[in-house]
Amino acid sequence: MKKIRWQYIAFRNPYLFALLLLILAAAVNFFFEPDLFTRDTLNSNMRVFLPLILLAVGQAIVILGGGIDISVGAIVSIVNTILATQLGTGASPQRTALMLVAVLFVGMAAGALNGFFVSYLRLQPIITTYASSFLFAGVALFILPAPGGSVPDSISHFYRDTTFLGLPLGFIIIPILLLVWYLVQQTRYGRYLYAVGGKADAAYQTAVPVNTIRFSTYVASGFMAALSGIAITLLTSAGNASIGDALTLSSVTAAVIGGTALRGGVGGIAGAIIGALILGLIKNIISFANINLWWQTFANAAIIVGALAAPGVIELVRRKRS
Amino acid sequence: MSVSLSARNIVKHYGGVVAISDANLDVHTGEVVALIGANGSGKSTLSKIINGVVVLDGGQLLLDEKPVHFSSPQAAKNLGISTVFQELSLIPQMTVAENIWLTREPLNKAGLVDRKTVNARTEELLALFEGTYKNSLNPDITVGALPADEKQIIEILKAICFNPRLIILDEATASLDRRQVQRLFELIAQWKLEDKAVIFVSHRMEEIFRIADTFSVLRNGVTVGSGSMKDISEKELVNLMVAKESASNVVQRERLVQENSTDRKVRLEVENLRTNILKNISLQLKDGELLGVGGLVGQGQKDLLLALFGDLPYEGTVKISNESVHFKNTRQAINKGVALVPGERSKEGLLYIRSILENLLLPSWGKYGFPTKIKKAVQDSQEISTSLNLKMAGLDEPVSSLSGGNAQKVVIGKWLLRKPKLLLLDDPTKGVDVGTKAEFYKLLERLCADGTAILFYSSDDDELIGLCDRVMVMHDGIMRSELKGASLTKSNLIGASLGATNEGMG
Amino acid sequence: MKKISISPPVAAVILAVILFISSGLLPNGYGSDVSIAIAQATNILRLSVFLGIVAAGQTLIIISGSEGIDLSSGAVVTLTAIVVYVMCNGRDSMVIPALLAALAIGAVIGLLNGIGVAYLKIAPLVMTLGMAGVITGLILVTQHGNVSGAVAPIMTRIIARPLLFRIPGAIFIWIIFAGLLWLVLERTVYGKNLFAIGVNRVTARLSGVNVTGMVLATYSLAGLLAGLGGFLIVGNTGVVFISLGDTFLFPSIAAVAVGGTLLSGGKGSYFGTMAGALVLTLITSLLTTMQLDQSVRQMILGGTLLVMISIYGRQRGFRQ
Repeated sequence: MKKIRWQYIAFRNPYLFALLLLILAAAVNFFFEPDLFTRDTLNSNMRVFLPLILLAVGQAIVILGGGIDISVGAIVSIVNTILATQLGTGASPQRTALMLVAVLFVGMAAGALNGFFVSYLRLQPIITTYASSFLFAGVALFILPAPGGSVPDSISHFYRDTTFLGLPLGFIIIPILLLVWYLVQQTRYGRYLYAVGGKADAAYQTAVPVNTIRFSTYVASGFMAALSGIAITLLTSAGNASIGDALTLSSVTAAVIGGTALRGGVGGIAGAIIGALILGLIKNIISFANINLWWQTFANAAIIVGALAAPGVIELVRRKRS
Repeated sequence: MSVSLSARNIVKHYGGVVAISDANLDVHTGEVVALIGANGSGKSTLSKIINGVVVLDGGQLLLDEKPVHFSSPQAAKNLGISTVFQELSLIPQMTVAENIWLTREPLNKAGLVDRKTVNARTEELLALFEGTYKNSLNPDITVGALPADEKQIIEILKAICFNPRLIILDEATASLDRRQVQRLFELIAQWKLEDKAVIFVSHRMEEIFRIADTFSVLRNGVTVGSGSMKDISEKELVNLMVAKESASNVVQRERLVQENSTDRKVRLEVENLRTNILKNISLQLKDGELLGVGGLVGQGQKDLLLALFGDLPYEGTVKISNESVHFKNTRQAINKGVALVPGERSKEGLLYIRSILENLLLPSWGKYGFPTKIKKAVQDSQEISTSLNLKMAGLDEPVSSLSGGNAQKVVIGKWLLRKPKLLLLDDPTKGVDVGTKAEFYKLLERLCADGTAILFYSSDDDELIGLCDRVMVMHDGIMRSELKGASLTKSNLIGASLGATNEGMG
Repeated sequence: MKKISISPPVAAVILAVILFISSGLLPNGYGSDVSIAIAQATNILRLSVFLGIVAAGQTLIIISGSEGIDLSSGAVVTLTAIVVYVMCNGRDSMVIPALLAALAIGAVIGLLNGIGVAYLKIAPLVMTLGMAGVITGLILVTQHGNVSGAVAPIMTRIIARPLLFRIPGAIFIWIIFAGLLWLVLERTVYGKNLFAIGVNRVTARLSGVNVTGMVLATYSLAGLLAGLGGFLIVGNTGVVFISLGDTFLFPSIAAVAVGGTLLSGGKGSYFGTMAGALVLTLITSLLTTMQLDQSVRQMILGGTLLVMISIYGRQRGFRQ
């Protein structure tokens, strides 16, 4: 009976494993960087983590619905290049606000394109978003052929230094995301999402509007990618057409580590947020652990593969035992 | 609140294949109409047109005397048409409550799902089948882990939770045991009193005569007869279905007198076989014997077959041809002359988009050397297709182009090519039309005469009685009783299925 | 929408021919000069060889179904190219050992991918993408961004230069390669089983196919073929750089899709991929001839693939 109870808990809360990993990662990070939990360090870490957190949340939504979006990094790049070229250090507050809203729509439009191909033309998500990632990357490169551009100091300062109740920006945004998600899960839409990801044809027979749901997940992912693009632009204060490249795999990894299985229908954004935090902490650990510079890329990649493999290894060991 | 539905001159084709060319159906308030037809007759397609899953190509649907066109399953649902599907529409990762109320969740004032109401009303619904399910079904259990019969019950509850006007039951009793079917029929009687209408799609004559008021028979996509159940007999119904004068449901097989049985070799010996579900299964099977396995659905029959085929880990002793074996995978079993015809041909028995040739030869490519001698392979497949009377356009056609009965022939043909010594059958005539069934029984006879040992699980009691020498009835993972000779009667079978043991029986 | 009745590989070849003729009509195209046309055609064919061979492994993996894909082949190509480059160092004697090393490394990496997918149940997308990162990291570690070495002369001689009838050796290699691959896919137990597991793994398993073994073999084979690709590519260009293989990754997937191999698995052929490789190479060279910016080229490539899969990649809908 006890075993079933454990499995039940583990099944309904897939991010528990991720939570453990998070604590472990934080502990190791703390070992290498004793001032990890001071306000300023937390602040600076959160700033760096936030783009991935936002991106991972969007990715988790798509994966939950049974798809995947590997064009998110490219969307981030587009948003970044637009902001960097359209603003500049001297942009007026009105123009800034306008552009920030505009890029949100750009992100949603990109997501809509993906959503259209996947839901209504019924193309496979992996290949479709792979192709669109190329398209989007080309657009980003077209807008900004060489790194450069800038954004007004006022908003990058806002991003860097704002503290609300003494907490960095990230600590506000995460609870907001979690709250919104909690509410969404209580709506019919939330139920539809899990149904479509769980077993799409069964959902269809139950008259769930499968195509609309799938389409919406890609628009949501595009929106989150745009938010992520804004965050990263404010972080770096500059433009770079390949800024989003590395983020794509990380967003998928973060979601998967956090318990949102690629087959869909399982998981949520809480896990994705935890996963993104873990990945950020790992990067920290690697840079603080005095690993040879040339080894760092390898170490980072190896740890990611390890984190992905861990559930499988555990499952294998468990099966061999029983 | 009365309801009536009419389908007039419905036409539907899939690509070049005509599924329905002239189907007609009428159902009214307080009436149960049985929609009957052999496999491939189009009855499933017709019910899918009525509930909006499939678009019709010609003809008309009239709801409450008014023409309707369903743009989606949602549209049909909104008009009060509900379906209990043959292929379950449940989401395995979601709970019982979530599945039942999907798209119909009661909302609170804030527009969010009202969990309290959901749970309360789910409990109410579950109470309708109280006493007929094994585990304690509660609203929070994940559906994926449930056995087939309980899943079917959830499917039924899901279909009625929003108080529909017309309910379509498409082979809804296939996975249910007797008590559950009885309870369902009590519910149907209640629905009739509530002015609902029911379309009952089924193969099972006994149930049809119990519950239906009127009937409508489809044959090859055309409605060939309809009327009141009082005015027709079972034989006449079957005749309408198959259009053969002397269509008999089950071939009465000459029970081979077992005098020579001492000469026959023991092909299979099982001692104390145990798995998660199976407990202490022991049996013996000789060459040329047709041993039936019966019992209610989900009592471990499938597990037994899979374990013997090497696809399920087990403990215990298994001897084949007097040699101790313990198969770790199917290839080992195949190499020892064992073959398994699985339960769900589209999911487990066939490669749908590949050719008939490739399906027939799937386990046997190794025999054709490197590089593969294609000519010999084609020859062998041609022989098998002919001997099975396979109706196909050509060996290179995809197996998806075949009708249900012919597709099942391919599944069997795949193994016959290898001349297996031990043939395991997992409910092979489920969803197969009457004509093909007859051919199949003759095939079994031939195989037994040739000396093949056959272990035959069927969910059709009549079939088991008509064909088998002995029947072992399983209940709860144990062989409850062995019935043979005079004790092999329907009432004994049913009794054993429900848990009574052999002692004190005929 | 009218159903397309031409088989995808044939359609791809027709498309390739159209593209080639169009390229001749461009300002700096070959116009009506037949000898230049032949020379350009030969060149396109030669360039297609390398994409075609890199896409071979991809073809096998996509046929094997279950969302199989190999996003590590680009990195494998780069790694093996570097290994060959360094091992040969200009000496003909080291060609065979270098080739074997390339094949072995590719096979080992492929095997690791296969283990992750088959035993650890990691989705192929994630596994191979992660592996690509590991390999890239490894490349940086071993060579610190700079490699020193050289290709063996005999490689250039056979691969890049004309061998017989003024046709480059690479093309002959491709023809032999295609023949072997056809044999493997259509006339071996492995090939038949590959299509089977691509369609339905349960049926395959219940028919005696060792599904796990097939997955491991396929990923290993794909890695090996990527290693072969690395060997040939470095033999052709004579140089290595960190993004050498990456330029082949996206087109390799596009080539398989254009060639008509079902992205869900279970159906396809290498001839289709070859035709797809031709089309992709033509498009890329056309874009380069038009002297378009890299950004525009990328947009067009991405957009073209989207259009192609819209035509050939549509899956069964829910409503019929």
